[in-house]
Amino acid sequence: MPKIEMPSGALVLLILRVLRSGALHGYAIAQRIHVLSSEVLHVEEGALYPALQRILLKGWVTSEWGISETNRKVRFYRLTPAGRKQLEAELSDYGRVHEAIQSVLRTA
Amino acid sequence: MPSAAFFRRLRYLLNRRRFDRELAGDMEFHREMAARAGSGHFGNTLRLREEAREAWGWTWIDRLSQDLRYAARMLRRSPGFTVAAVLMLALGIGVNVAAFGFFDLVFLRPMPVRDPDTLLRFHRRALQSYAFALPHPEMAFFRENSRTLSAVLALTPTRLAVEGEEKQLMANFVTANFFSELGATARLGRLLDPARDEAADAEPVVVLNPGFWQRHFGADPLVIGKTIRLNDKLATIVGVASSEFSGLSLDNPALWLPITQQPYFSNGSRLLTDFSANGSVRMWGRLRPGFAPRAAEAELRSLAAELRKQYPTGVWKNESLPSDPGGYAKSLLIADRSGTGTEGRDDLFPVFALLTTLGLLILAVACGNLGSLLLARGVAREREIAIRVAIGAGRGRLIRQLFTESLLMALLGCTAGLAVGYVVLRSLMLFTETPAWLNPAPDWRVMVFAIGMGFAAAILFGLTPALQAARPRHRASIVRQFLVGAQVAASCVLLIVAGLLGRALTHAVSANPGFEYQQVISIDLGLARHGYSPARAQAYLDTLQSRLRVLPGVESVSLALSPPLGTRSEGAGLSIDGRALNVQINRVDPQFFQTMKIPLLRGRNLMRGDSHAMVISESLARRAWPGQDPLGKKFTMGEDYTIVGIAGSARLVKLEDSDSVEVYFLIGTADLPAMSVLVRTSAPPEDVARSVASTTKALDPGTFPEVQLLKAGFRRKLRGAEASALTVSLLGVIAHLLACLGIVGVVAYAVSQRTKEIGIRMALGAQPGRILSLVLRQFSGPVIAGLLVGVGAAAGLSSLLRGQLYGISNLDPITYLAAIAMFIVTVAVAALLPARRALRVDPLRALRYE
Repeated sequence: MPKIEMPSGALVLLILRVLRSGALHGYAIAQRIHVLSSEVLHVEEGALYPALQRILLKGWVTSEWGISETNRKVRFYRLTPAGRKQLEAELSDYGRVHEAIQSVLRTA
Repeated sequence: MPSAAFFRRLRYLLNRRRFDRELAGDMEFHREMAARAGSGHFGNTLRLREEAREAWGWTWIDRLSQDLRYAARMLRRSPGFTVAAVLMLALGIGVNVAAFGFFDLVFLRPMPVRDPDTLLRFHRRALQSYAFALPHPEMAFFRENSRTLSAVLALTPTRLAVEGEEKQLMANFVTANFFSELGATARLGRLLDPARDEAADAEPVVVLNPGFWQRHFGADPLVIGKTIRLNDKLATIVGVASSEFSGLSLDNPALWLPITQQPYFSNGSRLLTDFSANGSVRMWGRLRPGFAPRAAEAELRSLAAELRKQYPTGVWKNESLPSDPGGYAKSLLIADRSGTGTEGRDDLFPVFALLTTLGLLILAVACGNLGSLLLARGVAREREIAIRVAIGAGRGRLIRQLFTESLLMALLGCTAGLAVGYVVLRSLMLFTETPAWLNPAPDWRVMVFAIGMGFAAAILFGLTPALQAARPRHRASIVRQFLVGAQVAASCVLLIVAGLLGRALTHAVSANPGFEYQQVISIDLGLARHGYSPARAQAYLDTLQSRLRVLPGVESVSLALSPPLGTRSEGAGLSIDGRALNVQINRVDPQFFQTMKIPLLRGRNLMRGDSHAMVISESLARRAWPGQDPLGKKFTMGEDYTIVGIAGSARLVKLEDSDSVEVYFLIGTADLPAMSVLVRTSAPPEDVARSVASTTKALDPGTFPEVQLLKAGFRRKLRGAEASALTVSLLGVIAHLLACLGIVGVVAYAVSQRTKEIGIRMALGAQPGRILSLVLRQFSGPVIAGLLVGVGAAAGLSSLLRGQLYGISNLDPITYLAAIAMFIVTVAVAALLPARRALRVDPLRALRYE
């Protein structure tokens, strides 16, 4: 199956979304997206970390030290209140845009 | 919130290393996990990390510091090249910094006085007249009645005889509020105080300039309270001004005295009450907060109209009082001009235009030179650059790197240039005896200017070679040829201008100025300062002239209002055929032409009672009535005058300005108290001067006449010309030397590049002449083009110099031919020296090479 490139805006949305249920480290974020998308979406390392840096800068997530499954000290990313608000806003935006596109696709 | 985001971003900058480490840790972990899961395919870690880091927005700093470190290493590795480049830049930038520093001092930098921006300098203007000084009573009337000005300051400069000093010294009589309004502090004792020193019964006091205090009193701290004899009158020393105090004049006065006491020192002076122009004061006003200069001007105009009702002859009809910003040195350069008609043109503009152009030309030569050097170096660095391209350096990055090297070089050059500029300006100011408070140390404007210059220079000399080097396949010799042409043109202009100034100087010394000054003594009597009425002055002058005539060694005696080669001048603006003429007015007696040995070419001399006759110079006749006979024609200057005679052209006052022409009127009765006496001697004037001085002093011991040799005035006049000729010649020679060095460099490079080809040609039997022309042909075009452009530019530029050339045409063919000849010879030598190497190429060696 060919890999589907992810629009960068969507990646931010997905990262925020998978972090809603709790803090994750970088690899887990990529894995979670991969699994949840039924292995359709593949988050490249080269896209994930720049996006994470951007989100960190915006203050939507913070990082904290934690221990990984393999017993390594790694950074976990946690959604901040600002990030939660951003996620809600983006989700509703996305919902509206998605519906709009769908209605065009259905009727045109 | 944007500021919070900004601070987060800043945190990333400050903790860059830690965050980078953490990012690396994240990615390494990611990789481990991915490898474990079996989907092991990665890009370049470093590259990925760099991309991630870009989100922080600080990568440019990393790159810049990388580039800078690399550039510094490159410059350190070839110290010879670096030193040469920095020196060249220091010279090019330094000259411009000096020129701009001068401009800054005169126009931009406020003087060291309190609130320079609310200080206004006033002058008088009416339809037919202008003057930069006012009668004292008029100033006093403004001071009493103005509501837009919170204070009015006035100053009149006078020379005073000081006990124990051979020459008279410059003193400024000032209003007592002068020091307090300018925010001056005393170094010792006190300064003038309006409450004490302007009272009717105030005792005579004097404030010393620190320079005079050191020279005359050996910096004696106990000098306060002592008395000093000035014009034979006692005055009490009350204080010494601080050395930072600028005052409001450029003449470096030794003494400051209250203006109200001027009559005490100057026997019989009517300065305080007289409306005649013979005693007037320079006036400044301090603007009251909330008023604009325009409001003050309007108020003074209506006040002047009011005053005119009382003194219809004292105040001009429709007199207005325009103001200039008074807190800048430019306002001091105006001194005391006055005259009829429109005001003379501004002498400062051409000087600055010329300075700027010369400075930029030198910078252009330096940059052109450096550009060629860098091009040649770019070739030498081809290998290095090829390697860097091979390991993945992008073109943009490469250009940035090379340009960073140039920028670093420019920065060094800029720093050195600031120092050079300071030294140049400093030494010029010492040479011309500029007052010490004009501080040549660069201020922020000069620094910004120097940095801007450095940046512009870096673009000029660095960008093209960087572009060339990063794209070696398209290396065009066109760039090199253009650089050669530009250098040649610029240095050609400098050579010609230097030649013109030098020739003007020799011409001024050797040529006949139209009058004879070697054996003339001038006596500034200063009768007006002592309140002589015209009738008393007439009697005094008659007696004095008859006594002087019988002195041994005296040939003839005459009177003139503006003695030749002096500082006093009376002018009128006149425009003929669109060219502004500087008409110099002089008021003389009939013996004047004989005394100054100015020939009367046509018509007759002025005669007693000729109140409406005038003699004009031949230069004016030629310009105003070409091909006609001006005798008997009417000429309007305030009133109608009839031209009765034509005298030889003699630029008595503006020796240097070939556009200045002369008219002579007979002395009017009102002018008598202001007359100077001219004495032509048959014996050496130095010997006669003493008896002339004692005879004059004996006639009225209350006066303080100044006796001077015209020779000395001539030498003083030439000193400025010498300084400028010397400076420009030095610059011209340096620039030309640079250009020649540049040519040596590019020719040598061309030879080394074509060694193989030359070897083949020689092996096939080519003649030496053919080889030389092969090497040199590519440069003859740019050199000739540069020469033509340079000559054309010099012809245009030198018209700015018209007024400074002592009668030499700015298109003087001798100068141009000499400069071009010198130019061709030196350029030929510069080209042939390295080209000879081509002839010594050993064909066998050359072919084996590579």
